[in-house]
Amino acid sequence: MLLRMIRGVLFHQKGKMLLIALTIMLGASLATGMLNVVMGVEEKVNRELKNYGANIVVKPKDSSLLSEIYDVGEGAELNTAYLREDELGKLKTIFWAFNIVDFTPFLDAQVTLEDGSTVRMTGTWFNHHLDLPTGESLDAGVTGMRSWWDVTEGRWLDEKDENAGDEIMAGAQLAKKMGWHAGDTVHITASRGEKDVTITGIYDAGGDEDDGIFATLDLVQEMTDRENKAASIEVSALTTPDNELARRAARNPAALSSRDYETWYCTAYVSAICYQIQEAITDSVASAVRKVAESEGTILERTRLLMILITALSLVGSALGISNLVTASVMERSQEIGLLKAIGAKDRSITGVVMAEILITALIGSAAGYFLGFGFAQLIGHSVFGSSIEMNTQVIPVVAGLITLVTVAGSLPAIRTVLRLRPAEVLHGGH
Amino acid sequence: MTRKRMFLRMITASLLRRRSRMLIALLSIGIGATILAGLVTIYVDVPRQMGAQFRSYGANMLILPREGENLTKEDLTEILQAIPEEELVGATPYQYVRLDMTSRQQSFTAAGTDFTGVVRTSPYFSVEGAYPAETRQILVGREIAETIGVKPGFTMELTFQPSAAEGSLSPEESRVPGASLSGRGEGFGGGMVYVTALLNEEAGIDRITVDVSTQTPEYGGRIPEDDAFLAQFRGKSLPLVLGEDVDALSGATVTSGAIVDALNSAVQTGEAARPRTVMFTVTGILTTGGEEEGYVFLSLEDMEAMTGMDRLDVAELSVSAGAEQLERYAEAITEGGEKAQARLVKRVTRSEASVLEKLTALVFLVTLVVVLLTMICVSTTMMAVVSERRREIGLRKALGASDRSIRSEFLGEGMFLGLLGGVMGALLGFAFAQAVSVNVFGSSITFQPLLLPSAILVSMVVAALSCLLPIRRAVAIDPALVLKGE
Repeated sequence: MLLRMIRGVLFHQKGKMLLIALTIMLGASLATGMLNVVMGVEEKVNRELKNYGANIVVKPKDSSLLSEIYDVGEGAELNTAYLREDELGKLKTIFWAFNIVDFTPFLDAQVTLEDGSTVRMTGTWFNHHLDLPTGESLDAGVTGMRSWWDVTEGRWLDEKDENAGDEIMAGAQLAKKMGWHAGDTVHITASRGEKDVTITGIYDAGGDEDDGIFATLDLVQEMTDRENKAASIEVSALTTPDNELARRAARNPAALSSRDYETWYCTAYVSAICYQIQEAITDSVASAVRKVAESEGTILERTRLLMILITALSLVGSALGISNLVTASVMERSQEIGLLKAIGAKDRSITGVVMAEILITALIGSAAGYFLGFGFAQLIGHSVFGSSIEMNTQVIPVVAGLITLVTVAGSLPAIRTVLRLRPAEVLHGGH
Repeated sequence: MTRKRMFLRMITASLLRRRSRMLIALLSIGIGATILAGLVTIYVDVPRQMGAQFRSYGANMLILPREGENLTKEDLTEILQAIPEEELVGATPYQYVRLDMTSRQQSFTAAGTDFTGVVRTSPYFSVEGAYPAETRQILVGREIAETIGVKPGFTMELTFQPSAAEGSLSPEESRVPGASLSGRGEGFGGGMVYVTALLNEEAGIDRITVDVSTQTPEYGGRIPEDDAFLAQFRGKSLPLVLGEDVDALSGATVTSGAIVDALNSAVQTGEAARPRTVMFTVTGILTTGGEEEGYVFLSLEDMEAMTGMDRLDVAELSVSAGAEQLERYAEAITEGGEKAQARLVKRVTRSEASVLEKLTALVFLVTLVVVLLTMICVSTTMMAVVSERRREIGLRKALGASDRSIRSEFLGEGMFLGLLGGVMGALLGFAFAQAVSVNVFGSSITFQPLLLPSAILVSMVVAALSCLLPIRRAVAIDPALVLKGE
């Protein structure tokens, strides 16, 4: 009998029940969409912030400060310590390998141009292809790590070209001074060799790099006889904003209790990633570039807070919207409830029937709403960040709980109110 | 007139008598308007607020002197007028020179700067200890601190060696107006006394600073606080004779003599005039993860006293403005200034523009979706409330009311609710946006005056539209059927 009554309502009052289902669907989709976005957005924004370049710099442990402090430039005797280029792949084998987005080695050399002036030539990876022991492969290099460069003329140097070893990119200021253009061939002399190289492109970096030239790491190693060596590595990693534990650990990981150490090691703090890079690369010192690391933390935190507050507002909004409508629909059915009461139905069974109807409608509505909301999240993910937002299973119980709570809270008091009325009055229509 | 009054009465009567339903409708419109007003306010303000957060990446504009020009602090102040004060987060002048630490055979890049500016333009500087607050205090980069093993509280003696061109001064030349002289003399007990003097326009002494940390505190050590003693030097030209030009401080004759000796030795020979040595106290160690860790930082005043130069090598500016606006400022400065040019720090401006664009798009889409769904929610509720009154409509029709009058009455009612809900929502929404802004960004939000009328308008339109559909359906039905309840 109960089933029949429910079915009767669902089918005979299609219009009204559809309206309720529609509203619940909208509310549920809003909740699902916003929760998915708020959970997925942090990682997306974090990835966007990689535009600012490296947040970790790796240097050899015994690197002499001399070259940096005295500006003496490259005299092979001074800078005795180097990192090994063949170890770079190890960066993708550390515990937080997935958080390492990009990295590139650097090796500087002073080169003499045809007119006798000396400039800095930086050897690096552009889009270096790496096959990792894990079976993965990736392209790493400055093409990704210097996203703010403007290639004003020509193109980026492509390492996949056969003659990439005879190519360079020149800084805008230098090119202007020397009258260089993309496609020109220039003669350069380094400490252990000289070569004719072609300029593939002119870049405007808006900084010191504009006064130098960039070439492949191989070329610089070859011309200065420093096989397999790199002076520094820049790493771009997704990190968690620092907290008190991370700051304590950054000072001295050995001073942590074993439990804290584990928490720290297994969280993507920039200090933890630095520590693991040091473990992976022989004789290296990895340090956080505070300018980037710190700012990322601030911005991530603000974005998250902002999204949480907007989500909270939309959840409250949809909750009130749903409960409003449910209340209205119960009030509307006061005549029917009165009739049921008049023919002898108990309060409890009436409440049961009405609640069951509404809850079934809510179930259908929120199931549809979940998928709709997930669609909204994807829409936002794709149009803003160009990638999809992962489906988060934690969202389902939250939305289900919210909708149930809201529907019950919206209908129960209304049913009570209607039941308290005398059937005769209700049926007569005066209220 | 009477018709109008009747119309008003019908609307108000319905609103008053059917309180609970109307409350529901009003609540739903109010919520809708709150969400609309709140989110739109946040959306409008987000780029500005987020932009301010992005300033933690440091300077986004550099002011550089043109080739061959001498950029001074006064010039900088003038240049900064091109940028509105509220957009200028900070401006920090820098003078870079190399200073030697003779005792350790080391040489460092030293930056003379204004520390109140540094805190704003480089908020990511992490200082163990404190920023220098007084003269002769120094901030040391971590790399240097580790190499030479200094900690806050240590002292270090730094020497400025002018380049060959300006260094080989004859005694006469070293007494040119505005020159800064440094010298030392042997004080009481063999301890060294360091003196720096700045010459005025007539090549007399303008002011002197003395470092007597090696002297007995009760006697010679009192000299830096003894204004009367130091005032004797003002306006005197070098060399000086103790007892004639200046009187020795009683109880500190040796130290007084050492100061005079130091000043005399500074001008006696070109050799002695050249290196300017100052004793600094380390107040903090700087960690940045960047090249700044290989520098030492001192106040611009100390730097100018040491080098005798008032030029600025660069000024870092942190401006809270969009990419296009920044370009406009940079152009204006470069075109308008004869001495200086402005360059944008592309790494920061570019990335900021791209990230900010994404964030703004995110907030925009979220706002759009939320507002749209909320509006639909509001209209379904309104629809439910209105369609409940089919019987009433039928009755009115049976009594002879025209379709038009019924429609306009319901519309009027809906719009009245929309107005009420809109006002309520706009105010609540602003309060919400304010709360968000204070919580997230720690600053208050600007009220958008246009928002109040537009929130009211939107809620009135939504309310009216959502009334329209159910009324039309109700009106279309034969009153007899409606009244019968079918």
